[in-house]
Amino acid sequence: MLELRGLTVSAPGRDLVQDLSLSLPDQGITALIGPSGCGKTSVLKWLAGILPVGLQAEGALHLDGRPIPRPHPALSYQPQSDALFPWLTIAENATLGLRVAGMGKREAQAKVVPLFDPFGLAGTEALFPAELSGGMRQRAAFLRTIVQDSRFVLLDEPFSALDAVTRIRMQRWLTDRLRERPRAVLMVTHDLHEATGLADRILVMAAAPGRIVADIPVPTPQVRRDEAAMAPLRETLKSLLLEETPT
Amino acid sequence: MLSRVLTLLLPFALLLAGWEIYCARTGASPLILPPPSRVLTALWTERAAIGGHALSTLSVAALGFSLSVAFAVLTSVALHFTPWAERALVPVFVVSQTVPLVALAPLMILWFGFGLLPKVLLVVLVTFFPMLLSLLSGYRQTPQAFCDLLAAMGAGRWTIFRRARLPAARAGFLAGLRISATYAIVATIFAEYAGARQGLGIYILSAKNNFRADLVLAAVLVSAALTLTLLGILHLIARATARGPMDRSDA
Repeated sequence: MLELRGLTVSAPGRDLVQDLSLSLPDQGITALIGPSGCGKTSVLKWLAGILPVGLQAEGALHLDGRPIPRPHPALSYQPQSDALFPWLTIAENATLGLRVAGMGKREAQAKVVPLFDPFGLAGTEALFPAELSGGMRQRAAFLRTIVQDSRFVLLDEPFSALDAVTRIRMQRWLTDRLRERPRAVLMVTHDLHEATGLADRILVMAAAPGRIVADIPVPTPQVRRDEAAMAPLRETLKSLLLEETPT
Repeated sequence: MLSRVLTLLLPFALLLAGWEIYCARTGASPLILPPPSRVLTALWTERAAIGGHALSTLSVAALGFSLSVAFAVLTSVALHFTPWAERALVPVFVVSQTVPLVALAPLMILWFGFGLLPKVLLVVLVTFFPMLLSLLSGYRQTPQAFCDLLAAMGAGRWTIFRRARLPAARAGFLAGLRISATYAIVATIFAEYAGARQGLGIYILSAKNNFRADLVLAAVLVSAALTLTLLGILHLIARATARGPMDRSDA
């Protein structure tokens, strides 16, 4: 289990996030939602060890009860954009995390290449990111994150740049991949449909300063999560967000 | 392809035709303004002499330019990792660029003699700055998401530099290289003009002193060809080392 204890993120003169604590179990998707500027991305970036310059933070991170430094190999991070390096092939992009961790080129390729087919990327190994569609690029970015074999995956609005149809396809695709290779996911999203469709648990943040105001489990099985079934939960979330968003 | 070549050549052809017609119509003295046909004839007649001088200029420019590239890359890396040094030294480099070449070239000859050193130094001094600036700016403009991603993977500053900042600076560096390459031949000719035994600069000076405007212009034509050759070589290197469609379009 991953535990974040007492995180406060401050910009000069104000707290962006105040005394925030959360825990992530070893499996399942946790969605972090909240109004713009409530500090969702700051929380995610702090966990990934990449808090922006100019922000200060205090807090502790524990893995299975023991304090750990950040960044930590148990956590992998996928930024809002796919962040595929345009000068690397898709295979080289996918092995980036392994190479940075010190794995040899051949060993890393041998580990990644067999996953191209199940990830729907067969035949793209030698292509460059500019030669792929938005959805394919996102798959490649997700492959890069997954092959790092970290227990916890941090996703910052992974589908926000995609069109509506590709987004729905990619959401389904993500749940399928996570079923094959279970990981604990903490996903920041703005999209209530995405949160209620994918997450096993939804954390709602309020703004100014950012804090968690609701922790809502989503027990409905994935196969039964159609529009109508999830509508009441979306309404609840909408009310919570409106209540907590300053006008 | 053919239309691209024609578009490229058309302005030159028009300029040369206009020049030729102007000389023929006005009867301008060839000592002052020789027509292009006379310049080409002079170039053909003096091809051995001009070729020898051009080779000398090209060797000095190539040596100075290569040293400058190496020096710019090493300095940019050093300055990137020591921001205080960048803040302190970049203004010095900027000031160095404001010194007129016409003043600097004779001083270099005065300080270092008529050998290779002053010419190479002058080329380095003139071509170094655009490359340094383009590299530093390229490192800074690396998308933050790339650096964040690597940092989250546990990469240190050097790994982030090597895997993200250095390749991201490629397009800017190529632009700086092209600018510097155009300066390299000009700077060499300036250095030779101030004092040398061989090279297009000294050839131009001696042709001018003999009132041979046709030979001066023939040497200018050759110097332009040398610059274009240097740019062509850079283009080939850029294409050969391109990685991905974006790199290919930068080349």
